[in-house]
Amino acid sequence: MEWLVFVVLFGTFFIFLGLGVPISFAIGVSSLLTILLALPFDAAISVISQKMASGLDSFSLLAIPFFILAGNIMNQGGIAMRLIEFAKVLGGRLPGSLAHVNILANMMFGSISGSAVASAAAVGGTMAPLQRKEGYDPAYSAAVNITSCPTGLLIPPSNTFIVYSLISGGTSIGALFLGGYIPGIIMGVSLMIVAGILARKHNYPVSPKPTFQEVLKKTLQAIPSLGLIIVIIGGIIGGIFTATEASAIAVIYTLLLAVVFYREVKVSQLPKIILESVMTTSIVLLLIGASMGMSWAMANADIPYMISDALLAISDNPIVILLLINVILLVIGVFMDMTPALLIFTPIFLPIAMDLGMDPVHFGIMMTFNLCIGICTPPVGSALFVGCSVGNVKIDKVIKPLLPFYAVLVLALMLVTYLPEITLILPRVFLGYQ
Amino acid sequence: MNKIIRLLNKVLSTFCVSLCSVLVACVVWQVFSRYVLSSPSTYTDEIARFLFIWVGLMGAAYTLGQKKHLAIDLLAQKLENSPSKENVLRLIINLVSLFFVTVIMTYGGGKLVMQVLSTGQVSPALGVEMGWIYSAIPLSGIFMLIYLFQDFIQCLNTLKSPASHSSEEQI
Amino acid sequence: ATILKLSHNQDQKHPVHLSMKYMAEKVKEYTNGEVRVRIYPNSQLGTQRESMELLQSGALDIAKTNASELESFEPAYGAFNIPYIFHDSDHFYRALTGKVGDDILNASAGKGFIGLTYYDGGSRNFYAQKPIKSPADLVGMKIRVQPSPTAVEMIKLMGGSPTPLAYGELYTALQQGVVDGAENNPTALTNSRHGEVAKFYSLDEHTMIPDVLVIGEKSWSKLTPEQQVAVKKAAKESMLYHKELWAKMINEAVDQAKSSMGVTFVDVEKQPFIDAVKPMHDAALKNPEIAEYVKEIDALAN
Ligand code: NA
Ligand code: NA
Repeated sequence: MEWLVFVVLFGTFFIFLGLGVPISFAIGVSSLLTILLALPFDAAISVISQKMASGLDSFSLLAIPFFILAGNIMNQGGIAMRLIEFAKVLGGRLPGSLAHVNILANMMFGSISGSAVASAAAVGGTMAPLQRKEGYDPAYSAAVNITSCPTGLLIPPSNTFIVYSLISGGTSIGALFLGGYIPGIIMGVSLMIVAGILARKHNYPVSPKPTFQEVLKKTLQAIPSLGLIIVIIGGIIGGIFTATEASAIAVIYTLLLAVVFYREVKVSQLPKIILESVMTTSIVLLLIGASMGMSWAMANADIPYMISDALLAISDNPIVILLLINVILLVIGVFMDMTPALLIFTPIFLPIAMDLGMDPVHFGIMMTFNLCIGICTPPVGSALFVGCSVGNVKIDKVIKPLLPFYAVLVLALMLVTYLPEITLILPRVFLGYQ
Repeated sequence: MNKIIRLLNKVLSTFCVSLCSVLVACVVWQVFSRYVLSSPSTYTDEIARFLFIWVGLMGAAYTLGQKKHLAIDLLAQKLENSPSKENVLRLIINLVSLFFVTVIMTYGGGKLVMQVLSTGQVSPALGVEMGWIYSAIPLSGIFMLIYLFQDFIQCLNTLKSPASHSSEEQI
Repeated sequence: ATILKLSHNQDQKHPVHLSMKYMAEKVKEYTNGEVRVRIYPNSQLGTQRESMELLQSGALDIAKTNASELESFEPAYGAFNIPYIFHDSDHFYRALTGKVGDDILNASAGKGFIGLTYYDGGSRNFYAQKPIKSPADLVGMKIRVQPSPTAVEMIKLMGGSPTPLAYGELYTALQQGVVDGAENNPTALTNSRHGEVAKFYSLDEHTMIPDVLVIGEKSWSKLTPEQQVAVKKAAKESMLYHKELWAKMINEAVDQAKSSMGVTFVDVEKQPFIDAVKPMHDAALKNPEIAEYVKEIDALAN
């Protein structure tokens, strides 16, 4: 009986997934089939359909449309270009300067837009032609862009953390936001190290030294865009608003910046920008609703217990179990995108990790870091898809240049996993998080 | 049929854009009333949550119409060179989607609404009947059905007359 | 054997979980193993509100919720949510174990669920960065409440500014000053670590809102009359079992908050608070849905 539940749930799910059924529908239907093993038809349906609405009934989730909207307004408002110019000031003198500029710009733009793919498109789209002109191998440039665009999911604000907070039963969003900084920066810096070594090998050029006036001008131009970070984090730490409310403030801030200050977005363009944000949000929301149905199906069939028993049977050493969890998540990340993976596997792995004494903020950031690698790996990876398309490179060409970057990311993941202080120090210092 | 689709697109997109704007205003008001006016609004929290459910579910229907829901289209890409096989695949995908939308959203959602309305459950702050909040599920389901139906017909037509077409699933 | 699935939102060390485990054992004993209760902790099968809906559709058999959540499903439970309806713990138990307690448990018959028993949820008190000794101290303070009209009105009458806020954001909100205070039983200080960011716990004891165990009517009707009696009996016994566990846990929580978190517990003269919310009590006596229950509870006071 127990194996039957497994086969029905994961079997049908992966078949639907492979066929190309929208992922949220695949999750919903396979969950329903699983629940039908235990409950009569009407009762089983009521579970899933209830989750489609009540699963969304959470104030924290509001941050998703708002941060997406703020990011979209910024995309239209020429903010990416200003941040790239500023990144040139910061990273322009390192070997293979343009690769470093790409990474730094992704860290900054990803940070404020909170979206890996938006960042890959905006920054990578602008950088790719410049790099090609200076003789960079397009596959190398694309690999740099692909692996660095997820940094913005770790550096706050980040919708990923909001989803995680919800699914983990209300982990502090403020603490997750602050906790993401250092791991996100580690991700960026480790990529820069590899990019630098490879650039030296390929003899990629160093940009000319900018004049002091240029530095000053470009820095000043970037300040209003970077100001969003200060407003958000400052507002949370200053007790003016909660992390969720900060997202609505971010919308107002970017609106003022793009419409009034820079005048690069017209009011008449706003409905389209809002509609696009609603669509992106709905994709995530339908996934959340369906995944909550799946969590119910799993809990009802005791699957989390079965998996944790199986894990604990292999070893009861925390180091080994965390390693196993990471390996499983890396494999999952190969096939599954960030949000569904987070939604489906947090309820399974978080209780195990907490039994080992792991902090839920630390676990969430470890899991996000891990799945950030997943969105860069074929066959399914949104960062990979967008990065290849804006870089004009075929997916099979980019795999080899990606390998050294994967390697350093896995290494950095191990640091984040086994040194909780990396994650927890900022929430402890600034929020008194224990 | 295309006329209905165009009308539906217009209605849903206008609805979502307006509601989303109200949503921003609602949360900004919550901060403003608490921090500036020092008299915290006691309703914005619940209003925002309920508007959000509606934006999300209506947006999900619109997104389905735009074929933007996340899916893995590797198989469809493989079949790119044989349009008839690709069309069969598209039919199968549509059938599974149809099952979800009919059974879970429309039928299940409808039953949930009836059940919750009949027990008279109300929301804690506003005292709104929760059944009306939940009616976003079957309503979204009905809109999704219309979109799926249209795609289904298109699919059958192409199967009959194998002219080339391009499928544009996901992202 | 008939298996009854029970959902609740606490962890496996919480008195509520232990008391329900005790009930499960008793059910098994009294029905010779014909009825088994299987417990799903940590909201695995849904929040309290979701669980209530699942009971009604038959996807779940038993759910633990509380009187304040239940008020939107069955108005009778509103009687328990009126501030200072109970004078003390003895009064609370006299009402819950008496006829009025039973009447309220049965009031929802026909709405898809009925109540089985109550569990002590302790008394709720204010906590903040300063002592709250009288309603005057609440003036200008933003107090986090659950989003219910009763809670909102109570804080308003006492003079504070009620602020609905998601519980998950409360710790940071208290720390950073988004809100100035909150109200809950002492376990919030320890389990949710609010004692780190709110150093004064003022014992005004404004409400004593019981947890309630409810069973779906679909599931109830599947049991034979003898089994129904057995389940009720086991549930009732677990209420008294819970009374001791709860008292023990509260004492431990208070000790821990005092010693390791440095929280000061402040004694409060309750009469000014009682006077402030008297309009709520008066309104309840005029509300036909709960007036009878309120009178009966009042009659049980010393
Ligand atoms: Na970010
Ligand atoms: Na992948």
